Amino acid sequence: MAKEVKLLAACGAGVNSSHQIKDAVEEEMKKRGHNVHVDAVMIKDVNEDMLNHYDAYLTIAKTDLAFEPKIPLIEAGPILYRIPAMAQPVYDKVEEVVKKVETE
Amino acid sequence: MNAIIDFANAIFKPLIDMGAPTIMLVVLTIIALCFKVKFSKALEGGMKLAIALTAIGDIMNLLTTSFAPAMNQFVKNTGMHKDIMDMGWAPLATITWGSPYTLYFLLVLIILNVLMLIFKRTNTLDVDIFDVWHSAFVGLFAVFCGAPLWLATLLILLIGYLKIVNSDLMKPTFDDLLDAPSSNPMTTTHMNYMMNPVIMVFNKFFDKFLPWLDKYDFDSAKLNEKIGFWGSRFAIGVYLGIFVSLLAGYNFTTEQGWKTMFTLSFTAGACIELFSVIGSWFIASVEPLSQGISNFATSKFKGRTFNVGLDWPFIAGRAEIWAAANVLAPIMMIEAMVIPGNRMMPLGGIIAMGVTPALLVVTRGKIIRMIVIGTIELPIFLWAGTLVAPFVTQVAHQVGANIPAHALVSDTTMEGPIEKFLGYLVGNAWKHQGMFIIYAILAIAAYILIFWWYSTEMKKRNAKYAAAAKEA
Repeated sequence: MAKEVKLLAACGAGVNSSHQIKDAVEEEMKKRGHNVHVDAVMIKDVNEDMLNHYDAYLTIAKTDLAFEPKIPLIEAGPILYRIPAMAQPVYDKVEEVVKKVETE
Repeated sequence: MNAIIDFANAIFKPLIDMGAPTIMLVVLTIIALCFKVKFSKALEGGMKLAIALTAIGDIMNLLTTSFAPAMNQFVKNTGMHKDIMDMGWAPLATITWGSPYTLYFLLVLIILNVLMLIFKRTNTLDVDIFDVWHSAFVGLFAVFCGAPLWLATLLILLIGYLKIVNSDLMKPTFDDLLDAPSSNPMTTTHMNYMMNPVIMVFNKFFDKFLPWLDKYDFDSAKLNEKIGFWGSRFAIGVYLGIFVSLLAGYNFTTEQGWKTMFTLSFTAGACIELFSVIGSWFIASVEPLSQGISNFATSKFKGRTFNVGLDWPFIAGRAEIWAAANVLAPIMMIEAMVIPGNRMMPLGGIIAMGVTPALLVVTRGKIIRMIVIGTIELPIFLWAGTLVAPFVTQVAHQVGANIPAHALVSDTTMEGPIEKFLGYLVGNAWKHQGMFIIYAILAIAAYILIFWWYSTEMKKRNAKYAAAAKEA
């Protein structure tokens, strides 16, 4: 089993949009042979401390942060359009980061 | 004819007697299959909805039962008539999805959206299937108040039409707020933005008379960072437990008084957290159907690019939404105590997510305006929540929540408060006729007029965006 990579997704209530992203990314990464776990939370609960526990942050559009994030931010909004062709580039970017973490 | 009805009854009666979770397991699975979802996925969705309904009923029961004695004491002690418990949005969404009529309203609104696309009345394809519960809620409430289904359907078609038009009107503002190019397809038909016209009136007032207030705008992200965990869901649950216990007049010289307070506080915190956990199951349950419908709709419009209607949080990254919600929470608490006609005790809905996104869109992030206008409009939400409480409580009973007698449940910050009043008036116009018919007609006329004024304002704004894009 590949090394587990932990990603964070966030939305309004940590219930709908972020869960759609979580499910889609986990499923697609599993298909590509990676071991990825995504947590879904409420955006207002995201802070520097929390981000330190993750390898990347899957954002939806522009996200205001009161600090400089140390982990990569990946724009995952297109997953929500429900059109597979538009979600592909997001998955590719996620895989790039995942591969980097796996080789570390 | 009778034979057909008897036959239908023979099949459906036993199913209906099984209760809402079982009905929805069967209905949701079948509808998903109609949209060519794989059987195992369709059944998974149906089952998740059934367990979500069951769980939400149980948690509502736990919360209301443990708070009922304290709330009674609270009312006796303070004389404040706050007998409706605020569950927040998740339980209301879940129980609304517990009605097969929600799927009926969903189909009606999908047909409306497709027709509007065909006749080029919009450029938005709404894939936010889950949030149809806001519209279904209004339709069901109108029926509860006495409207026949066809009349409720007409009301929902009117609101649905304006919602889709609104998503086109707001699109350039979203691009601006997100720093996105106009090729960005994200927009939304979410009902919370139907408050935009009213907010626009106040925003105009600010433009004319109070523009100097804008220079006091502060950094929202920094404020949120400072508030941190103090503003989190479970912390708010704990505060409410303490607040209710204090005003219920528990005897804090005894160990029992303290113990009751802590138990209440932790129960409230736990229930609020559980509501969102269960909310996520139930959204997952609609997921296969959402994908099925989206596949179906996009296959019908091959080669055409549209904007995509999503749930509102694609702009949740804007810190102003949360700064405003944080500041409005204590303000709402005070308003709830002093505003006549409000019977709700804020709890689950105290983080006003159904209120602040619309404020962001209209004011475009002017945080002081968001807070002031939010303070002015919150009573409308409280009154609407009070108005729908008997309906919400009845539906909660139908999905199997054993809420104690005389306890009522509702949501303080549910999106679409004005639409609730429309549902109320339309229902009563049919049932009681007389003056209610005139009130209903006047209300709907005013609703359309103010939307029309708002749309001209937004078109002016959008023309400016277009001109700026040309210059750049």
